[in-house]
Amino acid sequence: MSGYDASANGHSYGADDGQQGAGGPPQAGAAPRRKGGRRYAAEQYDFNAQNPGMGQGTAQIPADPSQMFVPAGGAPFQQGPGQQYPGVGQPYGQPVAAAGYGDYGAGTGYAQQPSAAPMQQPQQPYGAGAGYGAAAPQSMMAGFPGQAQGINGATKQFSQMSIRALPQVESMDLMNTRPEISDLQAPPPTAILPDNLALTPSPHAATDPRFFRSTINACPTNSGLLKKSKLPLALIVRPFLELTGQDGVPIVTDTIIARCRRCRTYINPYVSFVENGYKWKCNLCGYLNETPSAFDFNQLEQKSADRFARVELNHSVCDFLAPQEYAVRPPTPPTYVFLIDVSFSAVTSGLVGTAARVILEALDQIPNEQSRAKVAFIAVDSSLHYFALGPDSTEARMLVVGDLEEAFLPSPSDLLVSLTDCRPAIENLLSRFNEMFATTQNGSSAMGPALKAAERMIAHQGGKIITLISTLPNLGEGKLTPREDAKLLGTASETKLLQPQNSWYKSFAVECSKTQVTVDMFLFASSYQDVASLSCLPRYTAGATHYYPGWNANNYNDVQRFGTEFTRHLSQEIALEAVLRVRASTGLRMNAFYGNFFNRSSDLCAFPTVPRDQSYVVEVAIDENIGTPFVYFQAAWLNSTHNGERRVRVLTMCMPTTQSLSEMYASADAPAITHYFAAKAAERCLSATLDNAREAVGARVNEIMDTYRKHLLNTNTGASVPLRICSNLRLLPLLSLSLLKHLSLRKSSQIPSDLRSQAINYISTLPLPQLITYLHPRFYSLTDMGPECGLPGDDGQIVMPPTLNLTAAQLQPYGLYLLDDGLIQFLYIGGQAVPQLCEDVFGVSDISQVRVGKMSLPEDLDNDFSIRVRAVIAKSRELEHGKIFFPHLYVVRPDADATLVRWFITSLVEDRGDSAASPSYAEYLQSLKGKLT
Amino acid sequence: MFGAGYWILVILLNIGLIVLQVFFTIFYSDLSCDYINPIDLVNKLNPYLRPEMALHAFITLTFLLTGNWFTLFLNLPIVAWNANKLRNNDVTLDATEIFRTLSKHQRESFFKLGAYLLLFFWYLYKMIAALID
Repeated sequence: MSGYDASANGHSYGADDGQQGAGGPPQAGAAPRRKGGRRYAAEQYDFNAQNPGMGQGTAQIPADPSQMFVPAGGAPFQQGPGQQYPGVGQPYGQPVAAAGYGDYGAGTGYAQQPSAAPMQQPQQPYGAGAGYGAAAPQSMMAGFPGQAQGINGATKQFSQMSIRALPQVESMDLMNTRPEISDLQAPPPTAILPDNLALTPSPHAATDPRFFRSTINACPTNSGLLKKSKLPLALIVRPFLELTGQDGVPIVTDTIIARCRRCRTYINPYVSFVENGYKWKCNLCGYLNETPSAFDFNQLEQKSADRFARVELNHSVCDFLAPQEYAVRPPTPPTYVFLIDVSFSAVTSGLVGTAARVILEALDQIPNEQSRAKVAFIAVDSSLHYFALGPDSTEARMLVVGDLEEAFLPSPSDLLVSLTDCRPAIENLLSRFNEMFATTQNGSSAMGPALKAAERMIAHQGGKIITLISTLPNLGEGKLTPREDAKLLGTASETKLLQPQNSWYKSFAVECSKTQVTVDMFLFASSYQDVASLSCLPRYTAGATHYYPGWNANNYNDVQRFGTEFTRHLSQEIALEAVLRVRASTGLRMNAFYGNFFNRSSDLCAFPTVPRDQSYVVEVAIDENIGTPFVYFQAAWLNSTHNGERRVRVLTMCMPTTQSLSEMYASADAPAITHYFAAKAAERCLSATLDNAREAVGARVNEIMDTYRKHLLNTNTGASVPLRICSNLRLLPLLSLSLLKHLSLRKSSQIPSDLRSQAINYISTLPLPQLITYLHPRFYSLTDMGPECGLPGDDGQIVMPPTLNLTAAQLQPYGLYLLDDGLIQFLYIGGQAVPQLCEDVFGVSDISQVRVGKMSLPEDLDNDFSIRVRAVIAKSRELEHGKIFFPHLYVVRPDADATLVRWFITSLVEDRGDSAASPSYAEYLQSLKGKLT
Repeated sequence: MFGAGYWILVILLNIGLIVLQVFFTIFYSDLSCDYINPIDLVNKLNPYLRPEMALHAFITLTFLLTGNWFTLFLNLPIVAWNANKLRNNDVTLDATEIFRTLSKHQRESFFKLGAYLLLFFWYLYKMIAALID
């Protein structure tokens, strides 16, 4: 690193320079490899945390930020001019004169053959000081000011050359090392693109992986290579990050939407202007389109405009304000119909009272800035109770309809009313709601006919039906029977319990999708609820299912959780009448879509309303050989905002094409692949069997390991070969093991089908960060945490302790631990905890008095440790943005409540489970190794 | 035995089967080209799926009754296939799953079409043979 030589012909690379400069000893994985007689300096990249030399050299980053790229694994590296850098003490991010670029790159052109690229990439050892997680984005950002300054000079020289730094695989041994779980938070591998690919040097031209992410960041040029690699090619699309607001996405407000006439692609930062800027060339299909005159001349203000300042040419994630042609009808108001179960069990569990109170308190948070929101309430037992509300009266009139065959609307005009106009009547109704039904003895629920009636009520404009159910629907259409059969659990027939028992749920879902109606389910039954059947409606209408087994209003924690989650659910700014279409460069085709929506045509997903806390997986197939150096994907999200604007959110992604397996592997994204596996497994659980879903995941991981060993490891020794994988995929075995052992897929005869169904719902809808936490919970030691943890840090945020590996080996008998999977928190207290700890945290004098189970910690303990523990617990609940869940806290003590302890122990995925079907991490690796051919 | 009249009847019924399969195939390919939406497709095709099976089963039954053992043998695989679908309650199309299962349906429809065409020629041969007799 301290000095290297990039000879212009590129034939002899100083392959060892980087290594020595980093101060580390040569490593086995970094042994020079020959391919076409050339050695890659880049192979020396060391992503390995165990590198003893990582402590040195952070200050030696060749400091020319305009040349910064981010390779797989997050370590920034340098593709540099042929200069000698003194290296020591160069301030990071200070631009160095771009002299020498021209000499270096003259006449090279774009290197189609990876091996022909003459380049030299010294190494930046990662980890030390700069921090693994933070290094990449900072270097990206740091790169841009420098680039902007030097853009005039440098871009011209670059315009004749575009050299792409190739990411190289760095093998690492999986056996005998603990997985580096801190890497779960690491930024994903980024597509390695030349600087001048985008039109403008804007830092936002590169796709934000929070919105749009791919399982591999280098696209194979043909389907044979994709098949051979065994890696999936899939996109992960998340339209919204937060429950409310703009997510920092800029809006193009002048309703000028330039689109390709042939493939309907939206203009984006990767198009190019030709013919003096009169035309723009579509980056997906290559068609030449007229540039709108408004790009250069502002009609409104009668002055010229700078097209390169336009939002859509600077941001790969942006919103377009759409003109009228993009709407079939005037944007509809946000509409909410509340279907509230008022049967006996709902009333006695306190659901009716709690729900009415929560809705009453959340009325102000329903998105209603322009007073357009409409609401209706229907109470359901064996008959349907409608409420006629008027603007002039504070009294609601209850209209009871007992005819379930032909559920008609007793009063067409005043059932669905404006939230603003009828506010007094609505408030009055909700405050009296509980007492109206307090004495009911009715145990039936005609939820099917009620759903139908609600759908009919809002069919003319669409909207949301929010359903609160505590009794199994047992009257009329959509009637369900208790079918849980403990004998079926853990057998091949279990999948029947995961499918809807009544085809009405699918046909009605299709009906709802047609009329732009979303159904959300909040389920509360204390016995069998048939989540599998009921969650069918949200699945195909882009809704959400929330399940609160055994919910009771007498438990404060239950009320708090439901209240928080329901309020957040109501307050999210829903988008209405949305469709998603994903386009890609010629030769690529969207093959399958996973998530909650209805496929209205082969490539169009329809969302009556868009929930803001879900993400979607799109599988891509390669139909033809791809001849271009780059491919592009564009997800376009046409929707209406809650305040009546028609908008298109456009997400564009670019990635290089490759003919090398190694580049594909080096750019693979383990969490994204896990997300794809989860979506695919969830689909298989329903269409095939659980065994089938598990085997598919297991087999795929085997194939990946096998392919890697066969094609990318140059060692050819026999059985003694250690299990190796490239460093960016090193967490894939752990994540896939977590998926296989997860509640949704685990082979077990103990998991009630309701819980399993709900877990399957979650793994097919949760956004990536939440999904990873759900599969692989965060685990903290609270007794060992540093003095700064649990207190606000420099940025005002609570400092969290480091996460631990999920194994019982971490548990000390005197310790206090927190495990959080985003939906449930476990606070584990060791059996030999000192009385002081019990006193400080729980306010009791002795470990035997610590209450176990669902609870919240006492708030009134005024000691430092209690405050910090509570701060960590609260912060852990909020770590992922834009989520609705408010996890319960379960206190676990090893000598009390064996079920709870077992539940906690099964979350420790690195340990062996109770059966051979849930191996420990080491056993799993051993079995992967055994299956290598 | 039953003579050419019987075979003419069989041929006519078989043409009915072919027409139905062509109809299915066209609809499936329309769906894959997005000329029709899945809801309409399902509404249009579902009423014909069971009658198609019943018609084929009826023709096969007449072979059993008339003792045309070889022809019966030729038709049995399709009957078995249909019976299996009935047993698994997998006859009707599902609009929510149609895109994931489309290639399967298309393949099935193609195979059946091919089989019916081959059978058509076999029936034709039987008819001619009966006429010559």
